[in-house]
Amino acid sequence: MKDKVIDVLTSYSTPHELSALGNEAVARGALEAGVCGVFSYPGTPSTEISEVFNMVCNFQNNDENAKNYPELVKNKVYFEYSINEKVALEKAIAYSIGNKSALCVMKNVGMNVASDALMSVTYQTIIAPLVIVVCDDPGCHSSSNEQDSRYWGNMASVPVFNPATPEDAYRMTKEAFRLSETLRLPVLVRTTTRVSHSRGMLAYNEIKPADRVPFFDRLPEMINIPARTAAAHKKLLDKLSGDSLTPFFHEFNRRYFPGNKEYGIISSGAASSYLLEIIHRNDLSEKVEILSLGLIYPLPEKDILSFLQQGFKKILLLEELDPILENATRKIAQVHQLEIEILGKNFGGLSSTGEFSLEIMDQAISAFLGLETVKNDRVEGLGSFAQELPPRPPTLCSGCPHRASYYALKLLVPRENGEVVLCGDIGCSGLGALPPLNMIDTINHMGMSISMAQGLAEAMKGKGGKVVAMLGDGTFFHSGITSLLNAVYTKSNILVIIFDNRTIGMTGHQDHPGATHLSKYNQIEILPLLKGMGIAFAEELQPFDTRDAYHQIERALAAEGVSVLVSKAPCVFLPEYKAFVGHEDSVIAVDPSRCNTCHNHLDHAIQCSRRSSAQSSMSRAVAKIKADKPMDATELSCPANICNHGFFHSIVEKDYKTALDMVRDKLLFARTCGDICHRPCELFSGHESESIVPIRQLKKYVSGIESNFSNFSAAQAQVRNAAPKNKSVAIVGAGPAGLSAAYDLVREGYQVEVFEKEAKAGGLIRFAIPDFRMDKKGFDFEIAQLGQLGVRFHYQKALGKEIQLAQLGEDFDSVILSVGMGKINRLPVVADHLPANKWFSSLEFLKKYNDKSLPVTPGSRIFVIGGGNSAIDVARSAKRLHASNEAMISCIESMENMPAFGEEVTHAREEGVLIMPSTYVHHCESGDHVKIVLNGYISKSLLETLEVDYVVVAIDQQGQTEDYSELGAENLTEKGRIRVDKHSGASNLENVFVAGDICADNHMSLIGAIASGKRAAVGVRQKLEGYQFEYEGLQALLGLERKAEKRQASMQYDTGDNLTEALGVFDLFQSCEKCNHCIDNLGCPALIKVAGKMVIDLAKCTKCGLCIDVCPNNAISWVKKESLEIVAHERNA
Amino acid sequence: MKETLKTMVVGVGGQGVVLLTDLLVEAALLAGIPVASSEIYGLSQRGGSVTAGITFGENTNGFIEQAGVDILIGLEPLEAQRCAAYLHRGSTVVIDNNRILPYVVNAGNAAYPDIEKFVGFLTAHIHKVIYITDDLGSIKPAVRNLYVLGKLSKEKVFPIPYECLIKAIHNIVTPDFVTASLRTFELGRNN
Repeated sequence: MKDKVIDVLTSYSTPHELSALGNEAVARGALEAGVCGVFSYPGTPSTEISEVFNMVCNFQNNDENAKNYPELVKNKVYFEYSINEKVALEKAIAYSIGNKSALCVMKNVGMNVASDALMSVTYQTIIAPLVIVVCDDPGCHSSSNEQDSRYWGNMASVPVFNPATPEDAYRMTKEAFRLSETLRLPVLVRTTTRVSHSRGMLAYNEIKPADRVPFFDRLPEMINIPARTAAAHKKLLDKLSGDSLTPFFHEFNRRYFPGNKEYGIISSGAASSYLLEIIHRNDLSEKVEILSLGLIYPLPEKDILSFLQQGFKKILLLEELDPILENATRKIAQVHQLEIEILGKNFGGLSSTGEFSLEIMDQAISAFLGLETVKNDRVEGLGSFAQELPPRPPTLCSGCPHRASYYALKLLVPRENGEVVLCGDIGCSGLGALPPLNMIDTINHMGMSISMAQGLAEAMKGKGGKVVAMLGDGTFFHSGITSLLNAVYTKSNILVIIFDNRTIGMTGHQDHPGATHLSKYNQIEILPLLKGMGIAFAEELQPFDTRDAYHQIERALAAEGVSVLVSKAPCVFLPEYKAFVGHEDSVIAVDPSRCNTCHNHLDHAIQCSRRSSAQSSMSRAVAKIKADKPMDATELSCPANICNHGFFHSIVEKDYKTALDMVRDKLLFARTCGDICHRPCELFSGHESESIVPIRQLKKYVSGIESNFSNFSAAQAQVRNAAPKNKSVAIVGAGPAGLSAAYDLVREGYQVEVFEKEAKAGGLIRFAIPDFRMDKKGFDFEIAQLGQLGVRFHYQKALGKEIQLAQLGEDFDSVILSVGMGKINRLPVVADHLPANKWFSSLEFLKKYNDKSLPVTPGSRIFVIGGGNSAIDVARSAKRLHASNEAMISCIESMENMPAFGEEVTHAREEGVLIMPSTYVHHCESGDHVKIVLNGYISKSLLETLEVDYVVVAIDQQGQTEDYSELGAENLTEKGRIRVDKHSGASNLENVFVAGDICADNHMSLIGAIASGKRAAVGVRQKLEGYQFEYEGLQALLGLERKAEKRQASMQYDTGDNLTEALGVFDLFQSCEKCNHCIDNLGCPALIKVAGKMVIDLAKCTKCGLCIDVCPNNAISWVKKESLEIVAHERNA
Repeated sequence: MKETLKTMVVGVGGQGVVLLTDLLVEAALLAGIPVASSEIYGLSQRGGSVTAGITFGENTNGFIEQAGVDILIGLEPLEAQRCAAYLHRGSTVVIDNNRILPYVVNAGNAAYPDIEKFVGFLTAHIHKVIYITDDLGSIKPAVRNLYVLGKLSKEKVFPIPYECLIKAIHNIVTPDFVTASLRTFELGRNN
């Protein structure tokens, strides 16, 4: 930088051909004119001018440079980036009044901010020269509008120079100082992007340092009061019409190719450059004469008039944007009654909008002169390659704190219903409007965010939530403070978020009053300023702490009145950023196994939560930030493979229909499971009892919504849309296992027939589960749906009697045996000693209980042998039968090891059932009552003698093996259960599969039965259609044997209005196949998709770590550098 | 060199389009060739497109036009293809296959164009195409544009002598990067 500054200050002290950027040329021109002070505000395309003086100022104020380069430091130029353009111009005016020449630099809209100063000072006087450089932006390359700043000449009555090239810019700026001094008026130099950002050849001259002694002259003009203004106005206009301007007109309004021409062209600014190039390359200098105007206000009437009077046939006016010179020319022609055709805007494609180009100029000239111009040799078909290409708009940089702030806000503020309006502002923060963030509803001009918010809040009072204003720290100081004060003053109800990234980012990271890296300035802290304004709710937040930021924003939105959050983290480009993010020895990496794929099933045709998942991803993303209890949903695996996290999040989103459909996608018995499933998904999770996700309760809840419950349209659609397999399957036994297999197979296009020995379907669920434990009507309805879906039922067809296995094997393509264990083995210690009316098997007892035909009188004592679920069911039924009944259970297991489900044991004890673990019946005796001699199981000695009325045997369930003897005794267990292949439920007989309790490895529970039925269905599909995947819930099914670690009673959550609130503490995360959350909501340039998985581009990653908080599947994390194979990203050139 | 030679440099913000432009201007000056340039880079630092025109010869201002670009330096393929209409039959094109996906492509909402098809068309229809597919993995991203310049510098149509380019690199490039820049330039030139 030192060399560059030395260059600017010295090395061209003698004329030297060089190439300079238009803006650099402006700066040089001012230096050569002896400028003393430069005041500006950053703004493309003007910023380079200010940066030259910024560098010069820093150079000159450095002590070492003072020693080494005394000549260069001698005439110090003052420079400041003022808080905004208004103060910049005011200060420049003041500087000039103190007799120091001043330069003020700004972009086009900056002049709007400064205009009050400009409009007033012209009625007074300045002392030293004051030049204002305004940079327009035709085509809006980086501006909100393409206003034509030449109008300021007319508006304020100040001279305006309009350079066409960098050389023009240099000379005009220099001469502008001379003109300003002559007229005692500010002079405008108005460039455009094309001039400011072009490099051209020019020669510099000597820098003559100004010889100015500061003083303040007490002139009457210094005081602006109405009494003086009328006269001042006249004085002003006289200044501009005087002779002092003539030499300037002469120098800067130039004629090209004078002679007797038919055609005349008047042009100005960049238009002149385009024009001359076209004229030269087509050799048209013989045809036209050109008047190129450089000093355009005051209007060079004499120059234009004398040009017009040369007798041209036609005149063409060429200027970008508004027809200012064109209209003036037309007026001159009219006033002087000149008969001449004047052409301008709307001729030959010339427009008032956008930039000119060589093509536009070419078209206009050939139309004007009526001739063909030299055309370039186009290639046919080449242009089509440039069409419909993906656009590349600007984005927030990787690691930008604005992205983090917007993301936290996005999790809180739903964008669909539009209730919370987001008012954005100018600068890098404005890029939050672009996809995928889409977090801005309005952007206007600098500082409008806060005014828009308070105005809208007032207009929409009473309707909708708080209005939010968002702006950067630079913008806040520029024009946000005044608006914010008004909001406080008028008691507005708004939230203001100030993105404090410690710099003015977009224009090249300049300092501002709130963030200064130079010790020569005072830094103004924002928070005390806010407190001083009387804002009660003013807090700093750290945007990369997503969780805290979320909660802070939430509080701020809820607070009444004006609340302000200062989101403070440095811009990526600042030197302090690297230390801020830290993690020197780590990089961020994506675990591909967790990104974008669901582990659960490999068959991607399986439907689960594969609906459009943008909303579900969002609710998972919010849960991740809000919730206290994160839980990997794969720990909650359901043997039927219900997607628990999809189910859970649908409920959080209050989409109960989808939640129920997700359950029904996998199993038929949603309500029944909601009633009596033993919840392995909850119990096996290993979490503390307060931290269990209440899946079963939620299942019951969603299947309790009648309108959804009775709507089976999704399953019906599946049946309709299934490709018919033209294969038939016989299912023997209409218990939950068999019916679940039927449900799956009919939805895959199979013909299914169910054979059941009883008169009704339902198996143990219907007959053995006591009615008080579940909704049997709902169960009936669920079963009836199978008929609706096309399953055929044959009742009172028992295996081994009305139907034979071998015959079924011939009549059907596959058979599934799900006959259950139909008998209780005879227990001699009871059966041999008691009359038949004094004892029951558990199956018999429960069937009769459900039929209401149980011959047990009130006041009876019922003694149950067995420690399993049916024993519990018997005991509880006994107590419910008559309130005066007593029930007691004896089992050989200890309390902890009772095979019954923990919560069933708990229910029994709560209901007064006496449980006697580690006991067995030594013998029974009949009499008036039944006498039971009970021994301790460990001690094998007498415990006590009991008198009871009935005994129920609830142990030793067995299969009725004679019914399926074809399988061969060697393939059965001693209880008659059938051994199967654990992957498919296949038996040793071809095309015979087994499901349910009769299956040797079956877990004796409802979900165990359902899952084994589903497994058998997959087995059938593997055999009959070559289905190549294994049963999706296999691992969970095989894991059912794990006992619960604790015996937890059922968790109950209040399913009222606060349900989703209560569920909010949980975050169930699991990779979901269609997750696109980071792409859809974050848009960090360092996150790229390669072959369907997200990858971190380490060359772009700035280690801000935001993505780690964002991924709802916890697929992104810090990885130590050594452990990662870093290949292409460590470069050594 | 024909009377006017128009060059265009295109790429994504951060690839060094402006640096390359400044280099070419400086080198042309050293060679005594009249030169001008015009750059468009407003929001480019935020990952947007950057284009610059450099014109050699009298009476030019750095302006470029459709079918009027003699040499196109494409530091990024999509941006190069975006300028297809600026080429004519006599053009020379250098494209560095250094793809930077815009957001819409990354998000799966639009497809990155078939660059090979574009290059194939150019090869059949214009004067010369240099499609850089060398493995440049070892080159620092910051100086990759010098490799491209090196490759181009050998072409007959390129108007600036070697010595002037070397001197320009010394004059323009930040001191810390001069060595790497020179090495990378030579690599491109000799590869």
